[in-house]
Formats: sequence, structure tokens, C-alpha cells
Amino acid sequence: MVAVLLSALAFALALFALTRKRLLWGVIGVGAHSLVLAGLYLVLAAPDVALTEAAVGFGLVTFVYLLALRRTGKLVVAASPLYPLLYPEGERIAGLEWEILARFARWCHRDLEVIWVPRAEIPRLVRSGEAHLGAGGFLPNAEPDLRYTRTLVPTRLVRVRGGEGPLGAVAGEPSPPQLDGEKKLFEDAAELAKALARGEVGSALTDLLHLREWVMRDLFPEAEVQVFPEELGFAFALNPEDEELWAGLEEFLAELERRGELAELVRRYLE
Amino acid sequence: MESLSALALAVALALLGLWVLVGRRNLVWKLLGLNVASGGSILFLVALSHRPGARPPILGLGPGPAADALPQALVLTAIVIHFATLALALALVILLTERRHTQDSRKLEEEEG
Amino acid sequence: MKVLLALALLGLGGLLGLGIAGLWPRPEPQDPEPVARAWGVANAVAAVVLGVRLWDTLFEVLVYVVAMVGVRFFLGGLRWRGELPPVAETPLLRRAADLLLGPILVFALYLAASGHLGPGGGFPAGALLGSALLLLALAKGVERLSQELYEPRLESLEYLAVALLLFLGAVVLIFLVRAPAAFIAANLLIALEVAIGAWAVLHRFASARGEV
Repeated sequence: MVAVLLSALAFALALFALTRKRLLWGVIGVGAHSLVLAGLYLVLAAPDVALTEAAVGFGLVTFVYLLALRRTGKLVVAASPLYPLLYPEGERIAGLEWEILARFARWCHRDLEVIWVPRAEIPRLVRSGEAHLGAGGFLPNAEPDLRYTRTLVPTRLVRVRGGEGPLGAVAGEPSPPQLDGEKKLFEDAAELAKALARGEVGSALTDLLHLREWVMRDLFPEAEVQVFPEELGFAFALNPEDEELWAGLEEFLAELERRGELAELVRRYLE
Repeated sequence: MESLSALALAVALALLGLWVLVGRRNLVWKLLGLNVASGGSILFLVALSHRPGARPPILGLGPGPAADALPQALVLTAIVIHFATLALALALVILLTERRHTQDSRKLEEEEG
Repeated sequence: MKVLLALALLGLGGLLGLGIAGLWPRPEPQDPEPVARAWGVANAVAAVVLGVRLWDTLFEVLVYVVAMVGVRFFLGGLRWRGELPPVAETPLLRRAADLLLGPILVFALYLAASGHLGPGGGFPAGALLGSALLLLALAKGVERLSQELYEPRLESLEYLAVALLLFLGAVVLIFLVRAPAAFIAANLLIALEVAIGAWAVLHRFASARGEV
């Protein structure tokens, strides 16, 4: 009688586990199924097999699956928010880069996870492997051990002059050659904007998209804007050792560009 | 009765596991299916070693018939080997995912050409 | 495609049915008592695993070792560069590790040492030891524990255990030794080997930047 009940339970668990969509449920279900099987072996007068199944089939196998699934095909993106490119919108995340990354993640069967960090933190995270990608208004600089994809959105550097005082900039971002001197560095653009509003710095070095964000929020209506002629562009930053991910992303972007979807996206978000 | 229900379950598990092994396209799901199918075949052998009212094959557990020790011994090693091969297979899947960015068996086959 | 799938399943199911039909009428199971008595142990399964079918077990251990070497080889190239993202440390896990580690170790040793008398043996004991090590690793941090354990020494210990096991097997096979002491030694060696292999696998899976 016990055997019949255990058999039914074991089959139900296996059926439950193998019909799930999420892999985690499958692993948990198969683990529970193994435990029930161990009980069944005990009823069938095989205590040795029951012990081994409980220790190996339930314990070790489940452990190995769980450890392998720990970062279930995640694509970790380290980003600093920038309004039309990648920004939190309530609970959700939206933006041009988000849409591209979401499609890319689907393309290579990975789950997307965004960690919000200051701009200056991104290179370190990408280099150490804690994040696969740097995004969110990431302006390529001459950082030697990072690799960049093609330009997604072209932009230029601008200097926003609010009053007298030192020049402020975001740590890690490029700067035009004529402004190579002393700068006051900030963690990200939001800090820089606050400092400029407080009058801590007299002018701020930033780019067209950030300026656009500031203008839309009506932050510095009286500021004087100087645009530098160098062409720059937002891109994704990758670890140069992650050759496959770079090749995959480049292939994906090339495909988007070829089909004209990239231009379509840029138009939708920026015009 | 006991061993009959266990035999039926063993066959059902083997078929279910094989169905998932062949039908699903994700490699990790295939491994889970293989896990269940292997459990079915193990259960099959254990159920064969059993007979009504049998006691475990250990001396000094009283009178009465004892279950056959040979299938149980065979199965013991099968469980451990299954763990070892599973770990190896998962390592290979991890490597594949790292290199090819997919766990879809059909995609992998198509890329092979 | 669907047709092929159905055909494959039908074929496999047919094979399964054929196998089952061949078992009918079921053969009378052998009485395990003579085997156990002949090898001087109480657990007939242990007598079969480490006595009658010792060849099977030795080669199985070899398969296990080869698989573990394979895992080390394939995941070896996937180590994290730089710092490992820290494993979440929780007081609950620490307490659980403190409380459970001793009993688990004792129970595993008991299982290995008494495998010839009752249910148990080297395989479950080794698996328990490996899980205990993983529990400790989750409580203390994987990399710290692996540094304290010093992997290369552990690896050579594993190969030493296998070599000793093969030597023991050879002695048993050649001189037909039939003593419980041989069973205890073999079970302990198997437990050691399985535990180290399991730890190596779990450690590799925990510290490789692999993603499934």
C-alpha cells in the first residue's frame, strides 16, 4: 500500500518537474522526486540503494544542478541611467539600449539583469567579470582594457557654463583636448548636475544627451552651451577577454543595422 | 502488489524521461529527463530484486525470504556513475553556453551545418 | 520531425516492453545468505559490491575518477578573473554548519566503517562528506575554504586513495582474502575518493563563472 502511494507521488512529482517552464522548478521537482524514490527503495527492501539514492541522487545531484543554475544564464549589465537610452521607469526599465539588450538576451537565451552603478564604477565591474556589459550612456574613453561595440547613438561633448568656478566632469568620461587641465570629478552625471545647480562648479563638461535631459527637466535655463566638434558615440563596453560575447553582440548589432531596425529604434527614442 | 506498482512506475518514468530527453530542445532539460529515466531504470532493477514479504538482504533480520542482493549491488554503482556523468555533462553544457551562447540543441545542430 | 520523435519513442518503448516480457515468468531471486556467509560479512549487498563483483566496483571507481578529472579540465578555464563575487553569508547558514558538521562527519564515518554490517558503505558516506564540505564552504565562503584545504594536496590524496584501492583490490583478487577488515578499508577508501571528487566538482561549479 505504501509502495503504491509512494509510486503515485514519485510519478506525480516527475510529471510536475518535467512539465515546468522554469528550470529551477524542474530541478527542485526532480530533487523531491529522487527523495520519494529513496523512500520507495526502502519499502522495496533495499536500504543500501535507498541510502545511496538519498545521499547522491537527492543530495549531490541537486547541489550540482543548483550550483550550475546559480547565475541562470544571466547577462549582467552595469549601467548608469540616462534618459532616452537606459533608465528606470517605476518598477520597469526602459530605453533604447534596454530594447536592444532585451532582444540580444532573448537571442542568446540569457536573462537580463541591470545593476545601477555610477559611471566611474562601470570599467572596474566589467574588467573583473562581475558585469558582462557596461551600458547606459557609456561614452568610450581611452580605457585600455575595455572593448567597445559599434556606436549606437552619435553625440558630442558640450560644456555647460553656469557661472564662475572650476570645471566639473564625470570621472572616466572623455574630454576634449583643449580642456585637458584640472577638473573636479564626480561619480556620475546626476551628481554633476546637482553640483552645477548648487554653484559648486562653474561649468560642467557633459554630452548632448545629458544636456538634452537637463534641458527637458529645465535645470539650467540660463546656461551658456559650447559644443565641441569631436564626434563621439555611445556604445556598449565589454571585457576584451570575453571574445565570444563581443562577437555575438557585434553580429547581433550588425543584423539590426542591416535590417534598418537600429535606425528605426534611434528615431523612435530620440526624435 | 508492491513490486508490480514499482515496475509500472519504473516503465512510466523511463518513458517520461525519454520523452523529455528527445522532445525538449534545451540541453539542461534533456539532462533532467535523463535523470528521471535513469531513476526509472534503477527502480526497475530494484523492483525485480523484491519479492512479496521480503526483508533486506542483511543477515540477522529474522526468518523469511530476503530480497536479491545482486541487482541492488549493480544499481548502487549506477547511481554514483550517474552523478559523475551528470557533472561532466553539465560542465560541457556550461562550456557550450560560454562559447556558443545557446543551449538549444537544434540551434547548435544548425550551426554545425 | 514529430513523426521521427514518435517513432523513436515507440521503438524505445517497444524495447522496454520486450525486456519486461522476457522477465515473465520472473526468475526466482537468489537467496543472498550464502554469499554473505561466504565473505564473512552481514550485508549481502556489500559482499556482492566488494566481493563477488569487485571488478565492477574497481572500474566504476575509475570511471568516477576520470569523470572528475574531466570536470576539472573543462571548468578549469572558466575561473573568475579577479575577485569572486562574494557568496551571501547568512548567520543561519553559519549556525547550521556549526551544528550539523560534526554529526554529519561522524555519521558518514559510521556509514563507511559499518558498510559490511548493515546498510551504508563508501558511496553514500562519500556523498555525505562531500555535501558536508559544501555546507561548510557556503558558510565560510567557497574560496576561503578551498584555500584552507589546499586543492593540489587534496587532488593527490584522491589519486592516492584510488591507487590504494586498486592495490587492495589486487590483493583481494589474487590472494582471495575474505576478511571484514578488507571491507572496512575498501569502504573508507571509496568514501574518501568519492568525497574528494564530489568536493572538487561542487567547488568547480561554485567558483567557475559558468552559466547554464
